[in-house]
Amino acid sequence: MKIEVDLKLCEGNGRCMEAAPEVFEVRDDDKTHLLMERPPASLYEKLKLAERNCPRQAITLIED
Amino acid sequence: MTSTEISLDTIDIISPDHYAKNGYPHSEWAYLRQHKPVFHVDRPNVQPFWAITKHADIIQISRQPRLWLNGPRLSVFVVEPGEEVVVPPEAFPLRHLLNMDPPQHGEYRSVVSRQFTPRAVRALAPQIAEITRKVLDDVADRTECDFVTDMSSKVPVAVIAELLGVPRKDWEMLFRWTNEIIGGGDPEFQSAGDPRETFEQARLGLFQYFTDMVAQRQKLPTNDITSIVANAKVNGSPLPTMELLSYYLLLVVAGNETTRNATSGGLLALMQNPEQFQRLKRDPALIKSAVEEIVRWTSPVIQFARTAVRDAEVRGQKIRAGESVCLFYPSANRDEEVFKEPFKFDVARNPNPHLAFGIGEHFCLGSHLAKLELEVIYRQLAERMENPELTGPVQRLRSSFVGGIKHMPIRYKMMPARN
Repeated sequence: MKIEVDLKLCEGNGRCMEAAPEVFEVRDDDKTHLLMERPPASLYEKLKLAERNCPRQAITLIED
Repeated sequence: MTSTEISLDTIDIISPDHYAKNGYPHSEWAYLRQHKPVFHVDRPNVQPFWAITKHADIIQISRQPRLWLNGPRLSVFVVEPGEEVVVPPEAFPLRHLLNMDPPQHGEYRSVVSRQFTPRAVRALAPQIAEITRKVLDDVADRTECDFVTDMSSKVPVAVIAELLGVPRKDWEMLFRWTNEIIGGGDPEFQSAGDPRETFEQARLGLFQYFTDMVAQRQKLPTNDITSIVANAKVNGSPLPTMELLSYYLLLVVAGNETTRNATSGGLLALMQNPEQFQRLKRDPALIKSAVEEIVRWTSPVIQFARTAVRDAEVRGQKIRAGESVCLFYPSANRDEEVFKEPFKFDVARNPNPHLAFGIGEHFCLGSHLAKLELEVIYRQLAERMENPELTGPVQRLRSSFVGGIKHMPIRYKMMPARN
């Protein structure tokens, strides 16, 4: 499982960080930063939620 | 649920009078979720629409902003007696984020989005705490008040006015315009006799006010949001007049009305469930989940509409191009398939995937600000307010768009602020 963020779209709403704080962190540049690129399968549900909730559809979850 | 008395032929989920008299039609929504989650409403007082009451369906529709447009129909408004059917945009001479669609919507949203990120909002916490403390201090030597006019309405208007750089002497005016724009259908706020004229006069008043402020900010830019919007460019050009002035109207109204109503409805829920208030008092760490629960419970925005650009399908139901769906957020937030014991108010509820701020493209821009305001207000109330109780009937706004509480008389004891 891999996560991609389109930083051109990201506007720092922070919905991803609410859903999966283990993986996403919105920093002072108002962009989300990935804390890991290949998160463990145990986080799958949280990552689906992060992908679904992003207002700008900036997050893509690529399943192996 | 008294679902035995409900029938699809007579069910009413859209008359403003119904909301003013009874509050949210939760029994009706529960019936629809169970029996007819995609329900065609065709009544004399409203242009036809499909009522969407399930959590999953609102998500599906909201996540496809190029199929389901905001522009053609912002929300479902009834035709008041004596009024002609007016089709937007004539009905609402406004162009703002709520009735824009991609790609324009994203371009306009980014004009102010950085002002509402978690980082930007966090910086406002001390200011909001100070405003709130003063509001509580002002009623501290009394034991009775109208919670809405004396408390819940004061904080949001002060916060949005500070963000916009509106001087204190004009706050009262901002507040009045907000009431008239949202509550023009309620006799209490009908300054101009009928809803449409009340709305129109408030809109023009607000437009004139910000026209003057824009001129000042263009001459002498500051770092308030009024200045940021006044000097912004979209695709290399300054905002056209209608888009520019509508932006301010949206910020003033949205920054005011919903937070006020969540605050009032939250205290009502805590008074009806005093053990939950005690729990929050004992354990302040519950503040974040309590705020989410208050937002779920109150769901201050009742509905927005979407219009299909081409033939579509929701839960197997064909919906034709040009037809509109009405997304009932409070219904989604009581969906039995999503929430355990949805009709229980639980300040520790977790998870709480409510849709009160919407989802997808139009997800509430001010959600972090709203939640911060509610956090500050409820942290201070939990700390200082003892035994709040209702002393008279709650008066609700006559609107099926925004769920408002106009007046809520309470008795309480306010302790001094801890330092």
